[in-house]
Order: sequence, then C-alpha cells, then structure tokens
Amino acid sequence: MTGGITRPVLAAIAIAAVAVAISTIGTRTSGETVPSARTAGGHPNFNGVWQALNEANWNLQAHEARAGAVTQPGVYPYEYARVPAAPVLALGAAGGVPASLGVVKGDGQIPYTPEAATKRQDNADHWIDRDPELKCYVPGTPRAMYLPYPFQIVQSTNKLHVDFAFANAARTIHLDSVDEPPANTAMGFSRGRWDGDTLVVDTTGLQGSWLDRAGNFYTETAHVVERFTPVTGDAMQYEVTIEDPAVFTRPWTMSMPLYRRLEANAQLLDYPCVEFVEEFLYGDARKQQLVKHWEGDSIVIDITRRMRVRPVGER
Amino acid sequence: MARRSIALLGAAALVAAAIVAGAAGPLRAGGAPLKTAWGDPDLQGIWSQKYQIPLQRPPRDAGKASLTPDEVRQRETQRADQAANAPKRGDRIAPRGTLEDLTGAYDTTFEADPIDTSRPIGPRTSLIVDPPDGRIPTLTPAVQKRMRDMREFMLALMQSVDACKRSQDIACFGVTPGPVSPRRNEAPPHYLAAQIMGDRVINRADGPEDFGLGERCLAGNLPSFGVQQIVQSPGAVSILYEGWQRMIPITSAPHIPSQIRQWHGDARGHWEGNTLVVDVSNFTAKTDYQGARENLHLIERFTRVDGDNLEYVVTMDDSTTWERPWTVNVEMARQDAKANAIYDEPRCHDGNIALKDMLIGARMDDKAYAEGRGPDPATMCYLLCGTGNPEYARQRQEGRGGGAGPAAERGAGGRANGNHR
Repeated sequence: MTGGITRPVLAAIAIAAVAVAISTIGTRTSGETVPSARTAGGHPNFNGVWQALNEANWNLQAHEARAGAVTQPGVYPYEYARVPAAPVLALGAAGGVPASLGVVKGDGQIPYTPEAATKRQDNADHWIDRDPELKCYVPGTPRAMYLPYPFQIVQSTNKLHVDFAFANAARTIHLDSVDEPPANTAMGFSRGRWDGDTLVVDTTGLQGSWLDRAGNFYTETAHVVERFTPVTGDAMQYEVTIEDPAVFTRPWTMSMPLYRRLEANAQLLDYPCVEFVEEFLYGDARKQQLVKHWEGDSIVIDITRRMRVRPVGER
Repeated sequence: MARRSIALLGAAALVAAAIVAGAAGPLRAGGAPLKTAWGDPDLQGIWSQKYQIPLQRPPRDAGKASLTPDEVRQRETQRADQAANAPKRGDRIAPRGTLEDLTGAYDTTFEADPIDTSRPIGPRTSLIVDPPDGRIPTLTPAVQKRMRDMREFMLALMQSVDACKRSQDIACFGVTPGPVSPRRNEAPPHYLAAQIMGDRVINRADGPEDFGLGERCLAGNLPSFGVQQIVQSPGAVSILYEGWQRMIPITSAPHIPSQIRQWHGDARGHWEGNTLVVDVSNFTAKTDYQGARENLHLIERFTRVDGDNLEYVVTMDDSTTWERPWTVNVEMARQDAKANAIYDEPRCHDGNIALKDMLIGARMDDKAYAEGRGPDPATMCYLLCGTGNPEYARQRQEGRGGGAGPAAERGAGGRANGNHR
C-alpha cells in the first residue's frame, strides 16, 4: 500500500476502471459484448441470462435413456423393452428421455427415509398426474434453476433478482438484512452472502415441491443452501445442499454447471404456461370438450397419426 | 352464486397484500445514496403509491388540477365520515342463506373496504397530467366499435337472466329482458381481456376463456401503478410487482420482431440523466389497458426525486386506440426495506381450484337442467348478481372508482372496456 492519500485515489481509479469496463465492455470476435468478470463491488459478476444444459430436470440421478417420457410394457415382457405410452407416442423421437450420469454428489443416492422412498416411487409412477411442472406451478427453489428454460440474474449490491422464463416466476436473494416473510412460498425466503468468490444462498420458508420429473421431492421443512461459484466468465458451478429431516436421513448435495447464454441478443422471453395449461387442467369441465375422450377428470387418449415411411430424399 | 365467492379468494388475498404493503417507510436522515456502486441513478427499493388520487379527474374537479391544503383536509374528513358509515369488512348485507347473502358475503369479508383510507388524499385531482383536463382522450371509432360489439354480446347473454327481470342489480345495468339469445353459442367478437380482478365479463361459463383474466390468474399487466420492488444491475433493471415480474434490458438494440407478442410486452431501457426511460411494445391482443391491446406502446420514465420518493411517468401512445397520447404521473413512496412487505410470487395459478370448481358448477347446472331438475342456465346469473342492496353497490362502485391502487386501477380498466356494468 502506498499511503493514506493515494489509497483512496487508487481505489477511485480502480472503481472507475471497473465502471468503464462495465459500460464500454469488450467485444468477442463476433462483435457481441462481454460482461466484466467482476462487479463494481469486486464480486464475481453473475449478471446475465443463464441456463442449465443437462438432464437434471428429467432425473437428478443417473439414468438410462428411454423410449418415452411415459412408457408401457412392450410386446416382450422385459422391463428394458418397454415402449412409449399413448401420451407421448405421437411425438416419436421427440418424446423420449435422454440419459444422464446424474448430478447427485457422492454415491449418487438421495437418502430418503423408507416412507419417503416409497412416495418418490409413487410420484414417479404418477408423473403426469402429479408433477407441478406440468401444471405450470411455480417451480420452487432449486428446481427453477435447472429447468430447461433460461433465467436472468440481476445482481445488485444488496439484492439479486432472479427472473425465470418459466411461468414468469421470480425470486429475490437478500444480501441485506430483511424481516422474514409471514408465510412460506414456493421459491422460499433466500438470504445470500459472499464466501470469497462464492455466493452462498440460504433458503428456508419453502412450501416443498418436486425436484425433477422423476418424482424426487422435498417438503416445507427443507433447508436449501446453494453455492454459486464462477468457473469462467460464462460458466458457474451451481451446488445445492438440501437438508430436510422429514424425508431425508442426511443432507445431500447436487452439483452442476450453469451456462451463460452467449447469443449477442440474448434476452429473457416469456414462457407463459399458465395460459398454456388451461386445457390440461380444466378441459374436462368444458361444456364442449376439445379432447374427445374424458372419463371423469381423466384424459383417455386415442391417438390418430399418419405414418409414412419413405426413402430418404423422396418428396 | 357461491362459486363466485370461492373464485375471488385468490384475488382478495392479493388485494389484501397490497394494502398491507401500502405503508410508506420512514424518511431517512440525509436520504439514501442516489447512485449505484457502478454510477447509474439508483431507483432500487420497494415503492408504492404515495397518495390516493383517481386516474381520471372527477367531474366535480373539472378545470382544477390541484387541491389547496384546506380542500385536502376537508376531503380527508369527508372520506373518514363515509368510511365510518360504509359497510365494514364482514358486515352481513342480506338475510342469511339468501342469494344476496351468498354473493355479498364474499364482498364484505374478503375484498377491500368500500372506502379505501389506506393512504392520504393527494394534492392532485387526477393521476393523468396530460391532456390538461385529466381525462383519458377520446377512443378511436374502431375501438369504440369494438367496445360496443363486446357490450352488445355481453347484454345478449344477460337478457334471459331472471335476476334482471326483477331487480336493479348492478350486473343488469343496460339489460333489456328477453328470450335466450342464440348468441350464447357464439364466441365473443373479441378476446375477453378486461383486467378486472375476479370480475366475469360475460354471463357464461362454457370454458376457461369465458372467465376474466383475474379469475384465470392472467391479470397483472402494464402499465402498473401497484407496489413494486426494483433491483438494478449495469445492464438490466428487474421489477417485481405483486405476483409477476418484468425484465428491462438497458440497451439500444431494437425491439424483438413484431411476430413475438408478450403479456408484458418487450421493454428497452436507457438512461437520460437521472431518469430511466423504458420503451415497451410487442403487447398481445389478449391484454387490454383502457381499450388498448396489441398496439399499446408505453414510454415509461422512472426518476428518483430524493431518498424516499420516486416519480413514475408513463405515456400511453397508441393512435389506433386514442385520438392523442396521454400521460400519467404517479408519485411513489419508498417503503421500509427491512420490513420487505411485498408479495412477489406468481402463485395465484397454483391455488386456482376456484376456476375448476366454477366450471364444474356450471356443468352441474347444465346437467340439472337437462334432467329437468334445475333452471335453464341461460336464466341464471354468473356475473356479479345478487349484491342486492343498491346503496352498498353504489358505495362499492364509488370506492373503487375514486381510489387509487390495484382495485381502482382494475375497476377503471373494466369500465373503460365497456364490458362490465
């Protein structure tokens, strides 16, 4: 350090330099702007549009690829020879599930209590009926962060807003001290702090929700700790430890990278699914039903599709 | 009907949250720093309307843009008297078990008190500052026609309602009793986009689209004068309103392609001195603000006046809707940051069992009629029938029309749409 007079001057210059870096920002070869690696306050800069690029939302745990998001027994009676079931059959290869090595750390297991393990399997067996994602419900923390939709972080000095394309959901991370809200919410009450270059976010006050399409879940007693650590300017490691004595025998951790959307014109566009799911949720109570076959409030799906197999290149 | 009452619970919770969140924070000695760490003007905090000021200038204040301190005091006293005499939350307005009781029970128990006293009477007589008469400019002939068409459709579906043959129910205003209209089997001439929280627009419940945007959990659109939490970064400003959010990129890039339409439009922000200027376009035809739909174009200006005050000025610019642009100026007060009193989660939909229940109820009515056990649904009232007491209805209407805040905002939107009452 160079003394009492120059130190603040240097600091001012440094801040000014950062400010200039932020406002003028550099360019990549393709001409788009590059965000500064640090904020004016000297912390890692998480501002921007981000998205998970993995299969965590299908199943946090390691899983094989399968023919359909919903399958049924095939003509052969083997479990590994199941075929797509009616709800996704017409989607062909777009209706299947990609494989993953899983994002659960350690032995890859989620330490459910025996009762909770039963419920998790039951959830999986009734995925279409029960997954809140399909109903466009607020996805909850942490699932919102690895849904296959972009989200945007607006990082200020005292707070961060995280705005999600899915369902217009949002969460606030308080770096300052605020009173705890009087009721639980899907996204919970999040308090953040810096641990070196890692943003550590402590969330309680959750309602409990699903963690993926495989039926993994937690309850309103969950305590979720997220750690956001920069890997490069355009990638961060996102690590989540969940403690919930109601369903888990011990805390467990998932970890995955999240990636910055690098398009020059990247911006958050709405996925307004509240409107999109009206048929799914209310279709049986229409006066004139659009789906031909309802039995009570269950959709009975008759699939009509036109399959033409032609040699490649033939019109 | 009882189903209506259930329907509005979610809406009432939001309104209640707005009221709780309404109190302004204390003045901070010396004020807050007005620049962010990176040098932009600092607009951050939770902000809510400072005064109760009607959107449009009431006829009694014609020619007078502001009130003297004496007039403000006088109106405060007047309002306090009215509030003291108005039905209170939870008051029963009709004999127990009657139709009026069933519908009215919701209104007084869950909705805001008819006379809103949650914030002081403002020194201005309208939020509208331009045109100088404080009134929304004349609607274009095309939009007037759209509203007439919608109103005719609404009336056609009401003409066979029994309640309109025997009472002065506010839902029956303008209805000429008649036979069941063949239009009951038609789609409405335009999308039912009126933003009245919880209020049905047409007397039919054939599917979710027959309901109001509030009942479908699709309300909450721009411009909003409600409680808001602003958080900034060098390249973006995020605003959480009550139950919805919007992202404002700070950029000189052009708007997204015109074929992409969004509920909250497409925002482009830039700084002009200490003011955040936001240009919003690309709205959908499914929203409606005072008659404007997909062609709505907003120019918003957010200016931090001092530590505890924010000025929000928004110009509605849509020559397909109004004969000239018009501008609203809303004075916002900063709330206590530590109390953090804002409901910022879009959870209306998650708890919306009411919409399903109302649809199921309507199907039960259909079935009962088909089996000769009940009245023709075309004679039943699925709107706000049965408030019975005309005095209560009048006060309720005045309370909404004269107030400022979410309920008044939506009420005003509804009337301008011509779809309701």
